[in-house]
Order: sequence, then structure tokens, then C-alpha cells
Amino acid sequence: MLRFAGLLLVAALAVDAQMVQVTEHTLSNGMKILIHEDHDVPNVALYLFFKVGSRNERPGATGISHFFEHMMFNGAKKYGPKQFDIQMEKAGGRNNAYTSRDVTVYTDWFPRSALELMFDMEADRIRDLSFDPKIVESERGVVSSERRTSVDNSPFGTLYEQLNATAYIAHPYQWPVVGWASDIEAWTMDDLKAHYRMGYAPNNCVVVVSGDITPADVLPLAKKYFEPIPRQEPPPPVRTVEPPQLGERRVEVRRPANLPLLMLSYHIGAARDPDFPVYEVIETLLTGGRSSRLHQRLVEKEQLVLNVGGGVRPSLDPGQFLFTFQVRTGRQPGEVEKSLYEELERLGREPVPAEELQKAKNQILADFYRQLKTISGKANLLGSYEVFYGSWNQINQAPARIEKVTADDVQRVAARIFSPRNRTAGTLVPEQRAEVKQ
Amino acid sequence: MRTALGISLMAMTVSISAQVKLPDFTREQLPNGATLILLPRHDVPLVSVRAVFRGGAESEPAGMNGITAVTVEMMRRGAGQRSAAQIDLDLDFLGAALSSGANRQAAFFALEFLSKTAPEAMAIFGDILTQPIFPEDEARKVLAQTADRVRSSKDNPGAAVGQYFNGFFYPPGHPYRHSGSPDEISVARINREEIQKHYRRMAAGRNLIFVAAGDFDPGQFAPLARRIAGALPAGEAGQQPAPQEPRLERPRLLLVDKPDATQTYFRIGMPGIHRRHPDRIALLVANTLFGGRFTSLLNDALRVNAGLTYGANSILDQDRLSGAIAINSYTPTATTVKAIDLALDVLRRFAEKGVSQEQLDSARAYIKGNFPTDRLETSDQLCSILAELEIFGLGRSEIDGFFQQLDALTVETVNAAIRRRFTTENLQFCLVGNASAIEKDVAKFAGAMKVISIKTEGFAAPEF
Repeated sequence: MLRFAGLLLVAALAVDAQMVQVTEHTLSNGMKILIHEDHDVPNVALYLFFKVGSRNERPGATGISHFFEHMMFNGAKKYGPKQFDIQMEKAGGRNNAYTSRDVTVYTDWFPRSALELMFDMEADRIRDLSFDPKIVESERGVVSSERRTSVDNSPFGTLYEQLNATAYIAHPYQWPVVGWASDIEAWTMDDLKAHYRMGYAPNNCVVVVSGDITPADVLPLAKKYFEPIPRQEPPPPVRTVEPPQLGERRVEVRRPANLPLLMLSYHIGAARDPDFPVYEVIETLLTGGRSSRLHQRLVEKEQLVLNVGGGVRPSLDPGQFLFTFQVRTGRQPGEVEKSLYEELERLGREPVPAEELQKAKNQILADFYRQLKTISGKANLLGSYEVFYGSWNQINQAPARIEKVTADDVQRVAARIFSPRNRTAGTLVPEQRAEVKQ
Repeated sequence: MRTALGISLMAMTVSISAQVKLPDFTREQLPNGATLILLPRHDVPLVSVRAVFRGGAESEPAGMNGITAVTVEMMRRGAGQRSAAQIDLDLDFLGAALSSGANRQAAFFALEFLSKTAPEAMAIFGDILTQPIFPEDEARKVLAQTADRVRSSKDNPGAAVGQYFNGFFYPPGHPYRHSGSPDEISVARINREEIQKHYRRMAAGRNLIFVAAGDFDPGQFAPLARRIAGALPAGEAGQQPAPQEPRLERPRLLLVDKPDATQTYFRIGMPGIHRRHPDRIALLVANTLFGGRFTSLLNDALRVNAGLTYGANSILDQDRLSGAIAINSYTPTATTVKAIDLALDVLRRFAEKGVSQEQLDSARAYIKGNFPTDRLETSDQLCSILAELEIFGLGRSEIDGFFQQLDALTVETVNAAIRRRFTTENLQFCLVGNASAIEKDVAKFAGAMKVISIKTEGFAAPEF
């Protein structure tokens, strides 16, 4: 019965996923506009994807993309300091932004009545950002605080940073998106201005508008406000290619904590690697939901860890297959490693049973569908597909791409990526443990 | 029973400048006392169901804090003919997502599934709600995991400060003294027998609100829902404790020592309101301006102008019993006093001067503009809001009349509410940080101060 239900589910998704329709337009300055209509709520999500992130940085100025994400809210020519937020909230809107290794994304949510204001304010800061030295200093404090919270006062954040710095020895993915503490203290006005010139060109940006609008509402505004922004040179290509790993790497962090942590990283391909759908299926088989192999074995059966995290994320340059575990009291990271390696090895040795493969596909497709429930979910997905897979329209092929993955693919790819020489292991060893026992 | 077919595909039919309205739904009382609410809408082929049991932390026996959360977790670990692993497998096979939890006044289960899998998904949901078996080995496992989760939360001061605040702000015996999750002490007392007893008290028809929203035909779906919601015994409606205001007769400061912390996490509380309080809309506006959005006075002063923190906000509790209004932020150890002084300065000016017409207009637009996507966009949001109205005994006018009530507010009514609630007197300070570095300097904030180690069991403060 369950298997039958699963097959039904896949059929339903393959048809329905065609529902994402977009009007696409490229302005004369190279800025791409994607418009998706959804009239369920009288609101709009406006997402701007700039193809610049920590991969475009250099030692000494790490974290500057993320810092710049903050600076974009600190005043431009027409709308001065604080005005972006003040005007937006007054018009019923709200915003946020995020920076990753690959992109910097500005996310605006507002009632449709604020549409023109948002285009005006976004154009203003893309073209004419101001750089007030006093504001730069204040924002430095804000970003330092963000770093202290997400890294220094978080065992997870501390180990994650050390793991990446070990897994990559050459490529810029080795440094944290938030930047090293010394660099946050040190970057200069010239660094900021150079970064702005490099990243914030209209031809380096994809704009997604999703919600209670039509192309006839959006295109005239895009032409009026965005088209006059001059085209610039896009960021130079990232030249460094991470050399193949030649053997296992390990990193240990000692710090006060109640519980140990274990993280593993394996090198994999970039988003456009033809095997990426296979990585996604492997991710789900191993870590997706409570029925996944690693959850069942490590959390439920052997009770070695509190949770299983990690997986794969699409990236522009070759990325990582990551595993994270909060190790239980009295257990050792080494015990978790032993069981984990057995599971990874088994995936490369034995074909995955048909039902289990079907389950993983169902989970991926249902999760994919959940991202399409909201206008902001759709805006984020459309922009991500455009940037990482080369076209928003890949969304409509996503179910078929997953459906094509075979048990042979899973075995072949698992055997290739989960080799000891391709892995980096990181452990966090609590320092207070001995003290507590005394 | 009237069924609500033929409603618009749109959840909202009018523009933001006018009013918002809940889509049509049906509500019926089943013979066992359960409330069943159905809201069909056909925008995506997904269905959300939500089963909410009144009770939550309020219903927990003394010393058993967090037992509701543990019971809820245990209900999905073996039910009917299915083992825990079988339930996990069956749900994942359907691509269904199950979440569950407990808050101050209720326990909930939320399941989302593809409409074509309704019979299979609802069968699993029914087993979990009405036929849990509470296997002994699963109970031992869940309790051990819970104990480790408490340990892990003490490694993350940003998460722990909220728990410590509750254990300090509310007096012994108050149900909100605990945050709904167990601590090291209660987890040692909870066992399978207590969990079963708690389930029997909680899982009564009279306590159940069952809501479904999404892509279903009520004619086919209602019998499935009735079969599940109607299967529980009527039971006794839970005793709800009478509202009691925390007695705050003098300023106090609790400092939780985490010697390795490089910043101080702080929460500063004063008595607030409950969910049905007549000032709630005025205070929602007030709190939005004080610390409820990016341009709020607190965030503007501490983050934007001073660069002392990544974020400063204020929390306005809206639960069944009166809660707190609390300032919440963090700052490097060395700037602890500076940041708290600044926050108090913002509070003092706000309590004295209130808000202007321009601020009121801005906050009103902000709340209205965000409301549709925050609360009414998806089926699971609609389930959540409909259950909330039932839990707090509020009618649909709470939503349908919300914008009207916002429009009716004047500067005078908002400022009167601010004067009644926002105060600089008898503030309650809860700090998590490096005590040896800040203890002397923060003593000035309150005459009564206590320092405890983060290694001390539990989150409750000693009385002082």
C-alpha cells in the first residue's frame, strides 16, 4: 500500500511542478528580471541576487561581502542613512539579506502599494551608495557582535569554521563568510569601495519579483529605475581551483562545552555537476527525516548522537558533503565515526533497495513543493535556480532530474566521494569535562 | 452541517489598505466535546492538519515541568500497530512532514501531506493521537536525549537566557516559571507511568481542537477527521489555573556565570499582559515601536547608532495568563554596562514620552503590511491561527476586525497603555555572561542580586 501511495505521489508532482511560470526580461544594462504572479495575498517578495560572495574575497579582507550586505542599508544619495528601513517599514514592508560563499541576496517583503518605492530605493543604493566613515565604524561593531554570537559563543560555529579552513587549503571557500576577526577589525574604506564596484553591477544581478503583481506593473518600474544604472565589469573569475585532497585531514578544537561535536566534510562537485541530483538523493537517504539511515542507526539504535545534520548545498565552485553530529554524553566522536564510515561504505557497496530509493525521491519532491507555498519561497527558489543552475526554468525540470537517479548512480557516486582520502574530520573536545568530575 | 465549497482561490480578497478577512470555514462540536474546524482551499495540492490539546505547561504537575513536550514526543514513538521506526518510515515515504511541541497553554501536532495521500497520512495521524503505546525502551531513550538537549542548550547562552529569565521572573509555583521544556531535575522524575497519566489527562475530546486547511473535498475529508477527533474519550476539560500576576516588589538581578562567555546576554523584564487583555492592540503597536522591528527605538539605539550589538528587541508575551514585557539583547563583556544603560535610557524616554502620530501611523502600516504573509498565506498558518482563536476563546472577529481595531487607535490610547505598562521601576534583570568580569559593575542595576553558575542544575533561580 505504501509503495503504491509513493508512486502516486511522484506522478502528481511531476505534473504539478510545471506550475511555476515566469516572465523573463533582460534590461539593456544586463540586469535580469524574473516576474512570477501569485495573487493569494496582497503582498510582494522582491529578491535581488548579486553574484558576489566570500569566494570573491582575498586574505586580509575576508568577510567583506557580508560586511557590505550590512552597509547597503546605511544610506545612499536620495535615501540617506536609516531611510531605507524607515521608509520601508512605514510603507508596511520588512527586509533582510543574506550572504553566502557565492551570492549576496537582498530580500524585501511588502504590500503591493509599496512596489514603486522599493524599486526607487533599491536603484538608489545599487547606483549611489554613500560611505560615511562613522557609520562604517559603528557597523564594524555590529558585525563583530554577529561573529561573536555565531562563532565565538557557539561550539557549533567554532568547529564549523575550523573544519572548512582544514577541508580547503587553496580555494576561498576555506574562510568564513562572516570573515576572520582580524579582518573585520582591519578592512579599509578603499576595500569597501572596490568591493562595491566589483559586485554591485546591474549585469551581475538577478532580480526576482513574486506576488500580487503583473509584468505590466513591474517592467515599467524596472525600466525607469534599474535600466539607467550603468553596466560595469563583473567580478573577475575565481582562478584558484582546490587541488585534489591526498589523504585524510583532521582538526581538533578544545573549548568549554558540555557535549562533544563531530563534523565531516567530503569534497563534491558544484551545482552544475551532472551528479548533483545524485548527491541530493544520497543526502536524503542518509540524513533526510527520522527514517534516514544515519538517524535510525546513530540517534535511535546506537544512541551515539543527539541529532544528524548536514548534507549538500548547490555552489558555484566544487562544494562539500557535510555531516554534523552533537555527540551524546559519555560517548566518543570515534565511536560515531566508526558507525558512520560503515554506513557510507555500505552505500557504495550494496545497491539501495527500490522502495528506499523511492522514499528518498518522494521526500525530496515533497520538500521541494513546500518551498513553493509562499511568495518568498518561490522568489528565493527562482533566483537560486537562475544563479546556480543557469536558468530559473530548471525548477520545472527538478522533479524529472530527481526521478532519473538510479540505484546504480547512488552506488557509483557514494563509492567515489566517501573515500577516506577525500574526508576531513573535525572534533570538538569539551575542556571542562575533567573539571566537572572533580 | 454547512460545508464551505466554492470559496475563492484567494485567501484574501481585499487589498491591504482595506481589511483582512479569514476565508470561510466550518466549525462543529463532536459528541465527545472535540472541536473540528475545516477550511478547504485549493491553491496547492497540500493539506495541513493541526491537533491542539489545551493544557501545555499550565497543566503540568508540580516538579514535572516539560512533561507535555516529552509526552507529545512519545506519542509518535509507537502507536496502533506501528513501531516508532515504522511511523518514521511511513511518514517519510509519503513525503509528509510532522512537527509537534508544547507551549504554555497547549500541546500540538501539525502534519502536512499531499492531498492524494490523505487516507494513508490521516491513518498514521489518527494512530498517533488516539493509540499511542509508549514503549518503555523509547521512553528511556527520549528522556536520556532530553537530558542531553538541556546540557547542549547550556552551551549556547543565547538560547539559555530565555529559560533562565522565566525561572527568575515568575515566582515558584507559577506555570510560566518553566519554559515548556524539561530541565535536569524534572527529567530525572519523569517516567513512562507519569507520561501515560499525563496523556490520559491531556488527550480528552473536551481538550481537543482539530483543524484542517488545504486541498480537500469536505464531503470526503470530514468523515476521516471526525473519526480521529471523535475517537478520544470525552474526559475532563483541564483545570486552568487562575491568572496571577508575578509580584515584583523591588528590582532584582540574576547573573548566570558562564566563565568562557565573551559577551553578555541580557533580558530585562516588567509585568505584561495576557492574550485577551483590552490593551493588547495598543501594546502591540507600542511594542513594535519600542523593540519589535528593525527601526525600533531599542535596535536603533543599541545596534544602529552605537554598534554595541547585532540585535536588540523587546518581547511582548501574549499567553493565557499575564506574561512579561522584556528587553532582549547581547553585547561584548566589556560593554555590558554601557549597553544596559542605553537600553534603560530608551525605556525611560519611551515610558515618559510615549509615541507620536507619525510613529503610530508607521507602526500600524508595518503591522498591516506584514500580517498577510506572517499569518494568512499558507494552509499551515491558517490552521495555526484558527487553533489559536479557539485556545484563547477569541472569535473570528479577532482577525476580521483586526485592521479596524488598529485604525481606531489614537495616540492618546496608545500612550495611556504605555503609561500603564512600560516602567523603569522594579525591573527584573537576567544576565548570562562572565561573572568575574561584570559582577561588580552590574550590581548598580538592582539592590538585590544573585550570582549562580551555569553548571547549577535546572534554570530556576533561588528565591531572593
